[in-house]
Amino acid sequence: MHRMEAGDASKQARAAAQLRKGVLEYCVLALMRDRPRYGVELLRELEGSGALATSQGTVYPLLSRLRRDDLVTTTWQESASGPPRRYYALTDSGRAALDEFTRVWPGFRDAVDAFLTVPHASAGDHA
Amino acid sequence: MKTTADPVRDYLAAVEREASALPAGRRQELVADLAEHIEVTRAEQPATPVGDILAGLGDPRTIAATALAEAGVQGAAPAPARRGKVHPLVPLLMLTVPYLLVILLPDVYALRVGSGIFRIVGGVLLCTSVHWRPRQKVVGVTAIGLLPVVAAVLWNETTIAPAGELPALVGNLISLTVIAVGSVWLWRSRRA
Repeated sequence: MHRMEAGDASKQARAAAQLRKGVLEYCVLALMRDRPRYGVELLRELEGSGALATSQGTVYPLLSRLRRDDLVTTTWQESASGPPRRYYALTDSGRAALDEFTRVWPGFRDAVDAFLTVPHASAGDHA
Repeated sequence: MKTTADPVRDYLAAVEREASALPAGRRQELVADLAEHIEVTRAEQPATPVGDILAGLGDPRTIAATALAEAGVQGAAPAPARRGKVHPLVPLLMLTVPYLLVILLPDVYALRVGSGIFRIVGGVLLCTSVHWRPRQKVVGVTAIGLLPVVAAVLWNETTIAPAGELPALVGNLISLTVIAVGSVWLWRSRRA
């Protein structure tokens, strides 16, 4: 039995956070697919997406790890307005990781959708 | 609440403080990334209040926790206290060695008292250890802790047992065997 409790809202928030944690880095990599991007630019895109919006500051540790894992490289570029920006670009292994995620994601998404669809057509269900 | 002249500096200082468990290089990099973000955003959106920019970045604690997780550092939450760090040999030795010493040197009174204390502590350590299941603990404490004591008390304080050196020797040998078998069984059945 499932009862509504005070903690349910935060549990739901946790579900969203868990999902985000799994896919965020690939979305960040995908944003760099066509050209290098700088941090504020990446965050603006994530913000605009809605579901992937997150406490912006938490994306920088993620970018830092992607750099350490050699999935992205960074270069400083001067800007016409304000300070120089640090641009993030995909490395070969970053592109390979993105391609692999792009390959498995549709199957993953469809499988989850199939489970969530109501009524769920279950092969083993002989009522 | 005190209003400060430089909320950005306070914010970055808070991140640095919360991320103190990070290696210094990582911490400085994180603070530099955030500082750059704030500067760039201010340049691009001059109308946005600094407070809104900082609010968008989020709670310093959340950022620090994420950085610690990404760096594979155990975060602000301390590692769960490990129970039963006592090596499994300790309770076994405490239960058995004093007993052997008493058999070898039966006339040293201090040794008898010390032996009793050691064996009680050993029994407690055995019972609180994570290396054995409850059933094993009961069997272990009974076989190598209680039985020899009960046997000794019956032997010394009652007239059930036959008098004489030879029966005493046999009794001791049986006790020793029970202790040895019990200890070996406990040692073998322990969990890593």
